[in-house]
Order: sequence, then structure tokens, then C-alpha cells
Amino acid sequence: MPYAYTPKLIHIPPEKDVPFGMIVPAPEVSGEQPGMITGNWRQKRPVFDPMRCTQCRSCEMLCPDACISIDEKGIVDSDMKYCKGCGVCAFECREGAIVMVPELDFEDGVVRLETVF
Amino acid sequence: MTIALSQTPPKPIGKVQRINGCNAVAQAVKLCEVDVVASYPIRPYTGIMTEIARLVNNGELKAEFLMGGGEHDQLSIALGASAAGARAFCGSSGVGVTFAGEMYAPISGGRTPLQMVVANRTLDPPGDFGSEHTEALSTRDMGWMLGWASHAQECLDNTIFAYRVGEDPRVLLPQMTAMDGYFVSHIQGDVAIPPIEAVREFLPPYRHPHPLDPAKPVSHGPQIHPERGAAMQVQRANGMEMLKLAIYEHIDAFNRIFGRNYHPFIETYMLEDAEIVYYVQGAFAETAKIAIRKLRKEGVKIGLLRPRWIRPFPEEDVADALQNAKVVGVVETNLSLGAPTNGGCLALDLCTALYHLDRRPLQLSFMAGMGGETITPQEFLWMAEVMDRVKKTGRVEKRTWWAGFDH
Repeated sequence: MPYAYTPKLIHIPPEKDVPFGMIVPAPEVSGEQPGMITGNWRQKRPVFDPMRCTQCRSCEMLCPDACISIDEKGIVDSDMKYCKGCGVCAFECREGAIVMVPELDFEDGVVRLETVF
Repeated sequence: MTIALSQTPPKPIGKVQRINGCNAVAQAVKLCEVDVVASYPIRPYTGIMTEIARLVNNGELKAEFLMGGGEHDQLSIALGASAAGARAFCGSSGVGVTFAGEMYAPISGGRTPLQMVVANRTLDPPGDFGSEHTEALSTRDMGWMLGWASHAQECLDNTIFAYRVGEDPRVLLPQMTAMDGYFVSHIQGDVAIPPIEAVREFLPPYRHPHPLDPAKPVSHGPQIHPERGAAMQVQRANGMEMLKLAIYEHIDAFNRIFGRNYHPFIETYMLEDAEIVYYVQGAFAETAKIAIRKLRKEGVKIGLLRPRWIRPFPEEDVADALQNAKVVGVVETNLSLGAPTNGGCLALDLCTALYHLDRRPLQLSFMAGMGGETITPQEFLWMAEVMDRVKKTGRVEKRTWWAGFDH
């Protein structure tokens, strides 16, 4: 005789639901993931020096948020909407081509006062 | 929920070999056609690791065999592999299990159904090679399937079965298949090794719905805001309920294909008319049976209840099985200091499962096997004596009893 069991499931209303396991398309595909934007966490932001860059692509590979892109001219850039300023790219860059600069040095610098996120 | 099992003795399918628990697990890994094995040596898990390495080296198992710089790396490798759509396997013992601590929650949160085998070893101190279940039980709230095998055959069976239910698309949760270090991992028994065709029939290929794929990039485990966290946890809680359903649903196919006779969650021994009951998981259930056979000859109505999986916890089955018992003695095999028992944590689950019943047995905790010490048949006889005294008085004056120290 097969065993019977009724699972005690909790209903999630559609407006509260989230993607399965919080697995979402990468920002580079979807453009934006509302509720997951981490750019306003930054205290420092990476600044790239194209003269020193050897195009090794370490920063691109190691960025935990897949923010870094390299265009066809080889110019490295970071998506400031998602870059949380962790500094992994600057730490990993062998050529010293990435420097972390405090946010307050920029006109559009992140100022966190009203809300945490 | 009935506990009645088919009365015909099972005819295990497959070639019988006399191997130990380590080899049984390695054989199961081979039969499940695991893609990625992440390893890091620590005794007694090393026995499993070296046997899998031998199978990979011989070409018997076509898997990627990697070694991390420690257990944290090891589980990270397995997580990445499983997220990329590979069937992944890893394992550890003792302090290795706790060193990997950070990884348990993201693995179940990311819904990556990898498997980890744990051959128990005591934590430091004493860190000796005895078997204490504390290290695996310390991960019990991490959203993993968790349960103990009591002999080598069950090690092989649990690995195959756990992959099946964990990889069920309704579930997608990781599984920790535990066994007692040495008492199971390094003691030989007759193990029926099923043919690979039977395993393929039971275990379909693993598919993750959103694997890591450069052609279709996704973020696993992104940073999320607190207001979205609750729904994620509800999803995971529902996944655990579906895991429980999957265990009930798949056990019949497992028993039929492999010629076994498992109840999905519990094993009972002489329990029908038992007034006093040992509640014990893992290898020492076998020792308890020796004591039960001796005591039954003397007319003591004693039985055994062994949970095979404790996450998800089978509260319905346990309540059903113990409804006529008068005293239950939980053989703890783990240390949960400062708990209401000031002993082990298994009693807490059992107490919760029984509390709402109209008629429930009195419950004691026996701290035995502490620091990896072997639980002897004599100690089981002593536990029966204590339970018998409590049955006669009908009162629990002392809740936790330390074997060898209390009388």
C-alpha cells in the first residue's frame, strides 16, 4: 500500500512571491533586478586607468556581481547600479590599474542618509 | 499513516559483496554516475574519498575529482558544480563538517541538491576517532535532508535514495547522508550492489531548472533586500515539506526495484506490544537489538524505534509508533549543552512530536556514546532497567541519565 502524506504548504500570494531560490537573470541580461540593487551600498568606487590595463580580464571574471564590462576598444567599466564597492577588482589587478576612490569625491557620489537601502 | 510493511522477506537485487560502509558509499556514487566529486581528507571520511579516487583512477567512474584547500572550499566546489547542473558529491567528518559551516545555508537556499556524506567523528575536544553525532546534528537546521544509516547496505541505499528525493523538481534540496564513523564506515557487512540499469531506472538524470550557463547568465544567491527574504524562506520551508512527501512517494519504487523492505522514515523492532522503547539512530540500533533479544527472553516488553531520517522529521510516524509505549528512552549520541535536557538534542524533536498526543509515553534521555565511547550491550541493559523503574513509578524524577555515571 503506498504511503499517503499531505504536505503542509504555506501559500505565497503572487505579489509577495520571489524567483525560485532567488535565482534571477544576470543584470547584464535583464538590465535590472528590482529589490536587488546594491550600488547604493558603496563607500568607495573603482576607477580604471586604461593606460595601465593589460586586458587580462581578471577584474571582469572575479567581480562577484558581474558588474564589470570591457568594450570593443578595451575600455573597462563597472555598472554603478550594482557595484557595491567591495574592491575585489582593485585587489586582484596585478597592474595597479584599478584604484578605489571614496564616493564623496564624486558629484554623483552615494550619500546614504534617508534609507538604508 | 500505517507502519505495516510487506511481510515477505526482501530479496535484495544485485551481487552481494562483503564491504565496509566507506566502500558501499563509493559504490553508490559510482552507480549514481556522479559528475563532480569534491574532497578533502579527514578520517574516517578519508576511506570514502580514497575509494572514490580509486574508482575514478580505474576509469570505473567518469567524474571530475577535485580537492579543495579545506572543507569550506570542498563544499564551495560542490555548490558550484551542482549549480552548473552537475550531480555533485562531497563529504567530511568531525571538525571538517563544522569548518565548512558557512556553506550549508547557501547550498540549501540556492536549491542545489548536492549530497554530502558524513562519517561521524567526535568534535575537538576530544577529537578522537569515536563516533558522536554532534557535528552532523549541528547542521540540522540548515534546510538539508539528514539521516543515519545503521549498516553498510543502508549506506549504499541511502545515497541512491537521497539523490532521488533531493533532486525531485518539487524539492531541490541538499542531502546529508550520515553514518557512524568506524562502527559503520569501517566495519564490513554483506552489501547487495544493484546493477546500474536498476539505478538508472530509479534515478533519472539531474536537471536544475536554472543552471549556471554562459549562454543564459543567471545570478545564484544574489544579495536581496530584507522585505523579499521572508518569501524565500517560505519557499524553502515548502521545499522541505515536499521533500517529506517525496520520501513517502519514492520509497515504494525503491523497495520494488532494489528488493528492499524499508519504511520511508523509521525502523521498528519488536515494537508492537513494547512498553519500554529505545529511540536510537545509527549503528547502535544494532547493539540495542542484542539487548532487546536478551530482555525479551526474560519477559521484558521492550522494543526499538530507529529514525532513518530526522530532517524532515517524521512526527506522524513516530507518534503512531509510540502511541502504546509507556516509557521511551532517547539514546542521544550527541551533545547539546544547555538544552532543556542538558544533554542531547534528539529528545527535543521527539518531545515536540509527542506533546500534542492524548496518550504519550514518559520520556528520558540517555547520554551514551559520549566522546566517541562505544555503547555496550550492558549499557543498553542498564537503560532498560532505568526505564523499567520509571514505568513502575510512572514519574520522571530525573530526565537525563549519563551512562557510566548515573545509576
